[in-house]
Amino acid sequence: MTAIEVNGLTKQYGEFKALNSIQFSIEENEIIGVIGRNGAGKSTLLKCLAGFYYPSSGEIRVLGENPFDNLFVSENLIFVDDQMSFSAELTLEDILHTAAQFYPNWNQALAKRLFDYFSFRPEQTHEMLSKGKRSTFNMIIGLCARTKITIFDEPTTGMDYSVRKDFYRALLKDYLQEPRTIILSSHLLNELETVLESILLIDDGRFVIQESIDQLKETTYGLTGSVDHLRVTDELQVLHEEKLTGDQVYRVVKGELSAEKLDELERNHVQFSSVSIDDICVYHTNAKRGGIDHVFESEN
Amino acid sequence: MLDHSSSKPIYMQIAEWLENEILSERINPGEKIYSQYQLADRFNINPATAAKGLNLLAEEEIVYKRRGLGMFVKDEAPTIIKNKRKNITLNRMLREIVKEAEYLDVSMDELGDMLLKIHEEGEDR
Repeated sequence: MTAIEVNGLTKQYGEFKALNSIQFSIEENEIIGVIGRNGAGKSTLLKCLAGFYYPSSGEIRVLGENPFDNLFVSENLIFVDDQMSFSAELTLEDILHTAAQFYPNWNQALAKRLFDYFSFRPEQTHEMLSKGKRSTFNMIIGLCARTKITIFDEPTTGMDYSVRKDFYRALLKDYLQEPRTIILSSHLLNELETVLESILLIDDGRFVIQESIDQLKETTYGLTGSVDHLRVTDELQVLHEEKLTGDQVYRVVKGELSAEKLDELERNHVQFSSVSIDDICVYHTNAKRGGIDHVFESEN
Repeated sequence: MLDHSSSKPIYMQIAEWLENEILSERINPGEKIYSQYQLADRFNINPATAAKGLNLLAEEEIVYKRRGLGMFVKDEAPTIIKNKRKNITLNRMLREIVKEAEYLDVSMDELGDMLLKIHEEGEDR
């Protein structure tokens, strides 16, 4: 089943298109990462999915319905980010109780255990918390709501490394107990790549790629060899190329290499290396504008 | 146990780990193999990735599915794994060794002696 369907989604502020005719869908019970550079449109996209923003044009279907101003969707979808605000009157304990009343599938036992594990005190208030603690508390709300769709926008802001590790582990554990659709945006892709099934990469408000992580890594090759020997990969999508010493070049290509071509490359002593998922994303979004080196080259 | 920086995809590493469990007789023919969820929990990976590893073993007829019960190790599994490793993994490693030996002008006789010596050292352990 499809959990989310987006067709030609555009979100425009004056002349500026934060999202530019984006199209994709997300299957039910998938953990997917929404990846992009600062200002790529990740938060705008996620807020459109959550029904917080109304699209300028295009269509969004969340669990088959338009999410904007929709009670069914707000009951079945939770959006967590570091702007999440709660009434200053409420203590953390009150907030958990309120959430328990709103979300039909709320897991109070888990909420209590996580609350204690991360050393929260019932009488604290949300605004008293440090940045990292606030993110941790929001994460508890997001997980325990156990909504059909859970959206985390940069959930690890301010969290230290050990809390982030706990978060990824808690997310996976809870997902194994109750599989559901989980959408995360993060800048720390290398930290959570094993937990994700796939990624959706956007750049400048446009869709770039949506693919499973395994597939993406398997069809991206890092190759080091002489310019001539690398010619056999010309017909693939060349994501990145840098000159090394002499006629040696490091090239990153995307696509399927036939057994013959792999043999030929090997015979010519072309070196194969794996490309990290972070670099794959950077190369996909660099393709149009060139890397930072390009900025300095055009100065001369 | 998993090498995240390796160029070998995680699901292949999972398949290999399961093969090792079978070869070392920690899981025996006829027994149930770990489910995708157990593997996901154990290795902290997405269950879809774990399922891919299991499917790889099913394609190679090392395990088989029993509807509603999970996956079980086939009787021939150890033989299949050994043959595959010999023909593919060992062969590839030997190619590398021979290539390196040729670079270094090490004769095949000398290489054979080196192998034998390493083998004998192994018996002392």
